[in-house]
Amino acid sequence: MQTGTYQPSKSVIRVSPFEGYTSYAPYTCTQCAEGWCMTACPVGAIRINAAGAKDVVDDKCVGCKLCTIACPYGTMFYDPDTTKAFKCNLCEGHPACAEACPTEAITFAEGETADWIGDFAAERTTRVLARETA
Amino acid sequence: MAARHLIIGGGTAGLNAIRTIREEDGGASEITLVSAERPYSRMVLPYYLGASIAESHVYTATPASLAAWKVKAMLGRRAKSLDAAARKLTLADGSAVEYDDCLIATGSRAARPPTPGAEGPGVHCFWTLEEARAVIAGVQPGTKVVMVGAGFISFTILNAILARGASLTIVEVAPRILPRMVDEACARIVAGWLERHGVTLRVGATMTKIEEWKGKRKLSFKKGEPVLADIVIMATGIRTNLEWLEGSGIEVSAEPGGGILVDDHLRSSVKSVYAAGDVARGPNLLTGTLEVHAIEPTAQEHGRVVGANMAGRDLAYRGSLIMNIVEVCHLDVASFGQWDDPKADVFTATHADRSQYRKLLFRGGKLNGAMICGPAEEIWATNDVGMLKGLVYSGADLSRWKAHLKKHPFDIKPAYLATHTAGRLLPQTVLGRASQSPQLPHSVVVQ
Repeated sequence: MQTGTYQPSKSVIRVSPFEGYTSYAPYTCTQCAEGWCMTACPVGAIRINAAGAKDVVDDKCVGCKLCTIACPYGTMFYDPDTTKAFKCNLCEGHPACAEACPTEAITFAEGETADWIGDFAAERTTRVLARETA
Repeated sequence: MAARHLIIGGGTAGLNAIRTIREEDGGASEITLVSAERPYSRMVLPYYLGASIAESHVYTATPASLAAWKVKAMLGRRAKSLDAAARKLTLADGSAVEYDDCLIATGSRAARPPTPGAEGPGVHCFWTLEEARAVIAGVQPGTKVVMVGAGFISFTILNAILARGASLTIVEVAPRILPRMVDEACARIVAGWLERHGVTLRVGATMTKIEEWKGKRKLSFKKGEPVLADIVIMATGIRTNLEWLEGSGIEVSAEPGGGILVDDHLRSSVKSVYAAGDVARGPNLLTGTLEVHAIEPTAQEHGRVVGANMAGRDLAYRGSLIMNIVEVCHLDVASFGQWDDPKADVFTATHADRSQYRKLLFRGGKLNGAMICGPAEEIWATNDVGMLKGLVYSGADLSRWKAHLKKHPFDIKPAYLATHTAGRLLPQTVLGRASQSPQLPHSVVVQ
């Protein structure tokens, strides 16, 4: 989804830096099977769109934030300016992040929902942790 | 498989059970809903009070939508007694409903203290839609509102009262605010924030009576000056609606908090009777002990698990995680799990000047509870709130990260990612299958 503003803090895809900002990995909604945000919503404001993504229906969202604590992936956000919840909706099937990425680090393709960042993050944090505990 | 399902209570638990039955059976069974009120979401009533939504927005079902779900709706009808052996419910109007299995989801009601005057004119609760309407009528620009109770319910309507242009004083008998949701350090930050935003707080105040005085309400206390109000809102707790089950044969806990004792399928002591939501004493996800978790997410999960089991699935429930979030004057406050565990290893971080607080509670290498507080617009401080839930819910092994998190309690994200928490959570679903969009399942034949 696009907020229509240039404000990285409102991005629903967020890049994590590793090893002193020498490597990076993007993280966003996994479109999980449970759909914790969707089942938590007390007014049915989160639905599955044509792209198969969980999507916030703005007219229905009251901004109660229950979805932000129900989502165990930390990918459900609240916009204080609109007073609505917002999340990745795969841009209705044409994700702007994939189109914008110049190195094809982000691509949009059918696949199994997966933890694409876990191994990378584990490997890239090993040295930091070793240094801290040394 | 049971052919006649009876749902008693049209709140979150009841409606989630109905939707799940229909997702599972496509309309094959008979469902009867007995509900004293037309179904609405209590969770969103504060937004109706704050005038950010219309009354029509609060309803979670209409007679037409229930008909489309092939539900026989008996709305405005109250359950009076249950004969569990005969599988028969008697209503307050004397009529009876027979069933093959039933769900008790009669929820809670607001409780007032026995203080003289607490039931008098101009003294309201804010729990039902009808009570919300009365408060809306009584709170106008310039109205002096006194709210009794500084707990979660009180805080959910705080913004709405201010948005209506009223002034607000909150009095609380405990020595601090939010005693059942956050710790003392967090309460101090929230109290300071509220006072800076024009809310008057009076804690440690034992109210002795409420009386009429020159057209206003006068609240007297054991110590200190009385307080005058145009309208008083009692946010002094809730009681579960279980009295009507006396003599039913359904086992209710004698422990504090009460609740219908349920097994891991959320069945009561009588196997054809399920319980869900505020009335159910179900398993705590983290400890396994039976507890009443009178919160919206538990009512949802309970309702869905019961619905699946009523539809013939054999579905065990892992248990519910206590969690709360409330935003007051743009300050986010949330807590998860065993946030007051006295045996936990506790790591905290405070940025008092920025009203930020973070608390992590470990049992061994597992995060068992967490607390978070910070201004809503400071995204870095509050936006990992879901990751905290994920770490607590998944029981991720954070042994390698514990020393790091002790030094940097705000630095959750790398620990979350590197411990493959997302990967561990992905196969987990409450119903053992993907959830469906909340609209009407296509499989239900619309009449």
